[in-house]
Amino acid sequence: MAVGLDLLPRYLDPLPGGKGVVSAVDVIVNWARAHSLWPLVYGTSCCAIEMMATGAARHDIARFGAEVFRASPRQADLIILAGTLTEKMADHLVTLYQQMPDPKWVIAMGACTISGGPFYYDSYSVVRGADRVVPVDVYLPGCPPRPEALLHALTELQQVIKGETIRNRRASKELTTAPPVDRMAVDLAAWEEEQDEHIAEVEANKAAWKEANPDFQAYKHPKLDKPKLEAVERVKTPRRGALPSALWAAVAERFDGLSLATCDEVTEDALAAMDADSEAILDLVIDPERYAALVGFLRGNEATGCDMLHQLTAFDDGEQISVLVHLLSVSQGHKVFVRCALEREAPTLPSLSGLFPAATWHERETAEMFGVVFAGHPDPRRLFVAEGLKGYPLRKDWSDPSRVVAREL
Amino acid sequence: MEREQHIEVRPPSAGGNTEEYWLNMGPQHPATHGVLHLIVRLDGETVREVKPELGYIHRSVEKMAENLTLLQNIHLTDRLDYLSCHMNNHAVCMVAEQACDIGVPERAEYIRVIVSELQRIQSHLLWWGAFAMDIGALSAFLYGFAEREKITDIFERLCGARLTMNYFRPGGVAQDLYDGFEQDARQACSDILYALDEYQRLVTGNLIFQERTRGVGILSRDKAIGYGCSGGTARASGLDYDVRRDDPYGIYDRFSFDVPVATAGDCYARYEVRMEEMRQSVQIIEQALKDLPVGPIQAKAKPVLKIPKGLQVFRQVETARGSFAMTAIGDGTATPLRVSYRSPGFMHVAALHEMSAGFKIADLITILGSLDPVIPDIDR
Ligand code: SF4
Repeated sequence: MAVGLDLLPRYLDPLPGGKGVVSAVDVIVNWARAHSLWPLVYGTSCCAIEMMATGAARHDIARFGAEVFRASPRQADLIILAGTLTEKMADHLVTLYQQMPDPKWVIAMGACTISGGPFYYDSYSVVRGADRVVPVDVYLPGCPPRPEALLHALTELQQVIKGETIRNRRASKELTTAPPVDRMAVDLAAWEEEQDEHIAEVEANKAAWKEANPDFQAYKHPKLDKPKLEAVERVKTPRRGALPSALWAAVAERFDGLSLATCDEVTEDALAAMDADSEAILDLVIDPERYAALVGFLRGNEATGCDMLHQLTAFDDGEQISVLVHLLSVSQGHKVFVRCALEREAPTLPSLSGLFPAATWHERETAEMFGVVFAGHPDPRRLFVAEGLKGYPLRKDWSDPSRVVAREL
Repeated sequence: MEREQHIEVRPPSAGGNTEEYWLNMGPQHPATHGVLHLIVRLDGETVREVKPELGYIHRSVEKMAENLTLLQNIHLTDRLDYLSCHMNNHAVCMVAEQACDIGVPERAEYIRVIVSELQRIQSHLLWWGAFAMDIGALSAFLYGFAEREKITDIFERLCGARLTMNYFRPGGVAQDLYDGFEQDARQACSDILYALDEYQRLVTGNLIFQERTRGVGILSRDKAIGYGCSGGTARASGLDYDVRRDDPYGIYDRFSFDVPVATAGDCYARYEVRMEEMRQSVQIIEQALKDLPVGPIQAKAKPVLKIPKGLQVFRQVETARGSFAMTAIGDGTATPLRVSYRSPGFMHVAALHEMSAGFKIADLITILGSLDPVIPDIDR
């Protein structure tokens, strides 16, 4: 039986006359390799939990000879890419891969490592497919894949390994270099085109049928009862701590010209309405000059007593960048918000890290996402994004087509 | 002979002074619970300074949220703190409910509480296994996961997924409970109580475990407040604050449960608080199952949920790790202008230096494990 030489499994040695002979060495070596895979302890996010579950009691990956999870890449020969791969992590993944001795294999676990998964659109930091960074042997879809699926991927990998040869085994491993394609959009366009044809065909058939059977009555399906949903009145959550009017009185005594973000003018009525609404939170608007003084006052004053900085962040409404500070009184239970609008060009505010150590990291995040400079910040480094990213990604006018696949709305 | 010349001979350091050096732990390191990168300044084995590096799993969720409706955002919060996804979903749903004035039927409220508390137990079980494993008790990991799988089974029957459940909806929950859920939940509760006693014998009473956690990684109450710590980490430092009790949401104010508080602020206190939290969660589940009403599980809501222009809606929930908050600012369209998440672990890791300076590097692993960090939640 003559087969094309290129069609022979790679562990078959070609003989003259188009025949092949099994290389016994390959068979034994592959068998040994396939059944004693040592995975690297590598997990970045959600999928890692399912990987851990696969290793734990019920699913017991040891049944497939792959339970020896190694902490060092130098002792491992399999990476299960469990979890999203980001640009910042990608370099490290390559290092890990290179540190592993050959032969080595990679399972891309989960939608994220196959294509970016749920983070395909609009994300500026996710690598759309781990095969752009390291060669992948088995792709395992799911978000997250079940432990059984991971075991399936493992057996698939064992099949892959059994088809390899110890000679030149890396020849077929390549990285994906094609730019990411928005497959959803491509498929949708193709589907729509097909659908148009299909509809035209169906309509023509329908018309022909009607002409041939003029008194045909179509069968009417009985209608299923749709569950009727009732609107339910919302119960507001109870208030804890001081009333907004009391807090306002304490603040307004010290700072004049303050306003609230929730109402145009602060009147008795407006404050009474806020008191009556148990979910209303005092949302103070302050100018940049008195911002630090106000927050310090809210923290130190006994009536306000906001001892915890819950969060510091910002938002961009297209015109101005507004910094938001959420303060919480742990002892009394109320919250006070402070917001401070800044110009887009070189927005600067004093740092709150002296008042609240918690502000240090929140300010670093706000600085890198919105470009707000916090004067006097003890550690003004970037927090999240990789070095190469230009601009401030959470600003409305930021865009970077080289990184972001925008979602069509 | 020739090679020996190249060996650099250092003079012994004078007066017992040692030299400090920097050590990188992570981002790929089995003890950092994911991809946290710790830059540690060491003097011998003593930790002088810890600088956490974040962002290795920063997935730009907040940017993506600006192009998604609130409903579409629910599934992304599953992937932030994937061990508390019901609670995260709860925060998103409450934001939508407050912004669009949607009520929640009684039965849905009870279901929300029951599944949230089941998940708190599930998350703590995983933490318990991983924490004990960090200290070297490998078998605890298997015990924790075996118990956890039982709750995972309940969730799977309930919502079809094991991990990213995406179960809550504005105005209710996605599906009603399956037949036999109550029995399963009761069974899970009694199993947990039995298992907790077993864990007590297996790990808690172990002398090595006690030696390695008592007095290690002390966080004072003031520091806990200053760093914005919450959840079990803060309660172990004497900060008596639990969102379920002190900023009640849903129907948590109907149940009687204790908020365990310890004052020592060390790893052992954090351990004790979390172990007790599991028992309290069982109590809440039992009360909720007893009163579980029949009725609809979804309220009628508008098809498109819009946050009014300029409105800032803030809701916080108590996840297994602490106070998770979602802030959404509307612009009057179906997609919000800005969504920001406040993750509890972010502040705990910020306080890591305070806790671990002066301890040995092995203690650093213990301390980090006792904080129960979930890195995608921190990085967002
Ligand atoms: S595929 Fe899904 S579960 Fe896995 S890491 Fe990505 S988002 Fe998480």
